[in-house]
Amino acid sequence: MNFEWTEEQNAFRQRLRDFIARNVPEDWERFAEHGPGSPALTEFAREFCGTLAEDDLLTPHWPVEIGGLGLDPWHQTILAEEMWSAGEPRGGQYMNVNWIGPTLMKYGSEEHKARYLPGITSGQALWCQGFSEPGSGSDLASLRTRAEPVGESYRINGQKVWTSYAGLAETCFLLCRTGEDRKRGISILLVPMDTPGITVREIPSIIGRGDIHEVFFDDVEVPLSARLGEEGQAWEIIAYSLTNERLGIPRYALARAALERAVSILSERGDFADDAVRIAAAQVASLCEAARLANYALIDRRAKGETVGAEASSARFATIMAERRVAEFVAEQLPEALAGTHPFLKMHHQRGIVAGIAAGAAEIQLNIVASDVLQLPREPR
Amino acid sequence: MDLSLSSDQRTILDALDAMLRPWESAPIHDAPLFASDDALEAALAEAGFLQVTADPDLGTVTAALVIERLARLPYAVEAAASALIGPLLGDDPAGPICLVDTRQWRRPVRYLRENARVVVLEDAGVSAFTASAGQFRAEPKALFAYPVASLHELPDALEPLPIDPAQLRARWQVGLAAECAGLLAGALASTAAHVSDRQQFGRPLATFQAIRHRLAEAHVRINGAYWLAMSAAAGCDPGQAALAALHAAETARMCTYDFHQFLGAMGMTLEHPLHLWTYRLKLLAGELGGAAGHARSAADALWGPAEG
Repeated sequence: MNFEWTEEQNAFRQRLRDFIARNVPEDWERFAEHGPGSPALTEFAREFCGTLAEDDLLTPHWPVEIGGLGLDPWHQTILAEEMWSAGEPRGGQYMNVNWIGPTLMKYGSEEHKARYLPGITSGQALWCQGFSEPGSGSDLASLRTRAEPVGESYRINGQKVWTSYAGLAETCFLLCRTGEDRKRGISILLVPMDTPGITVREIPSIIGRGDIHEVFFDDVEVPLSARLGEEGQAWEIIAYSLTNERLGIPRYALARAALERAVSILSERGDFADDAVRIAAAQVASLCEAARLANYALIDRRAKGETVGAEASSARFATIMAERRVAEFVAEQLPEALAGTHPFLKMHHQRGIVAGIAAGAAEIQLNIVASDVLQLPREPR
Repeated sequence: MDLSLSSDQRTILDALDAMLRPWESAPIHDAPLFASDDALEAALAEAGFLQVTADPDLGTVTAALVIERLARLPYAVEAAASALIGPLLGDDPAGPICLVDTRQWRRPVRYLRENARVVVLEDAGVSAFTASAGQFRAEPKALFAYPVASLHELPDALEPLPIDPAQLRARWQVGLAAECAGLLAGALASTAAHVSDRQQFGRPLATFQAIRHRLAEAHVRINGAYWLAMSAAAGCDPGQAALAALHAAETARMCTYDFHQFLGAMGMTLEHPLHLWTYRLKLLAGELGGAAGHARSAADALWGPAEG
């Protein structure tokens, strides 16, 4: 057991820090107050990710054949930690490099790879994920948006909701029903968002502009070749994708960065001598460390080629606890930050609310831990 | 980063597991408040598992692994102080090593008995004495699932030791964190087995979400306690050690009553062994000032001492 970074890994981290310092604008912190899906940040992210790609820093963990450097999951982690600690200047594109790209690599047709991977590896693509529906949140398998084969096409009818980035995304990773079986009746379609019949409406949110939407599909037609994998294979594919997603976002790093910022602000103005505040800050730091190490234990296994299963849910719950405690600490000790005097802390607070909800609710993670890690008997359905 | 066990560590833990087999199950006949066994202590000493820190290829992480593994047993055996602090003492005490924080010297001291080597921590320095019969009273009826005794007072004549108090505190905290992680794992396993087996309303208790979510959350915290303990053991850095002990103490506090709760009335009896883990946790969770004490140490180490 060894908890040290190698010199090469430290150099990689430093290279990222230098890159971020060079490529985010001087007023970045105030700028990052725009929601992650806002027009301003989406436009900025295209430029930022384009430059990242030119420096081989957008998808260095991808295989060499499709534009990566073949670096290991530790490098992916270092990359993600530095980006999240800086307030995620990649905007919605983190999703592409974390799991949409890898999922297309594993399950996509040659046509899919040729059509979609270049946009992702050059930092220009923006995707949204059409998962949740008004009647299907945690119970995702109950979804009702339907795709019916009509000749050489699928005709899609239904509604998605709470869809991030849908306002500006070019492509939707859409789950829809092609059969009656709860899970084996679901398929994935890759749907261009400019296809006639799609209507997007933004829902105002705590996260900020442009993040949450509802998306309506009225007789939307896409070719059969838009299907990812086989008909009915969606559940298997998204299980793979979500494991990547659950490990892909190092919210503990942004949470720790926010805590350090809050402590530094409190110290500067002489408000960090109070024993109660210091104790609270240390409690929060211990949760951030616990989350970081729980994630590292899984990244280590992935780096060794092992499959990471239900423990990903455990690490994610640890991250949620850390994320929330940091947000609470800031709201209690520095409430003026949420009024806007410290945009970085406000931004952290806004994005933190997503932690226990997106990519599978916290309670679902606990169910997975109970059944598959602790091996407790399952609850009756 | 390499978070799997080295082949040496794997070999040691396998050998330890093999040796510990006779003590895997709790003593069921006399339903004791605590379980200890001289034969376990002797077997450990003879096999040299507590001397791993001195080996440069093994070091303090291996010591923490051994401490964590031993704490999963229902039997209490002194390991943390011998493995982590013993090497700092420069001699080889025959008996157990006990730890006393002068700010809390009235607390029951684990394993305190005649001829025990007692290491005393003050901010100003570290000292020690060898316990003699007149200095303490044994507390056989204490609820804590350790053999404990209380000092009548701090002896006047203490031998100063050339040990940095910050380093002693850090190693004490690493030991606490590793031992708590093992105790928590043992207590969780015992509780999970019960709720999987026990049927009410026609189905196992573990199928009720009110219970499974709290146990799952306990697992998340205990997993964090394990990794924090190991990372703290790697460098015995005061900040990381304090965070590890802090997380362990908070987790102990959050879990122990839940675990007893899930056992219902069985959790109040001594026939079920759960208390052999949880009532050790209750003593450990308060050492060095408990969670708040560790939090203060962590804040000092991470952000500098309080000013103003």
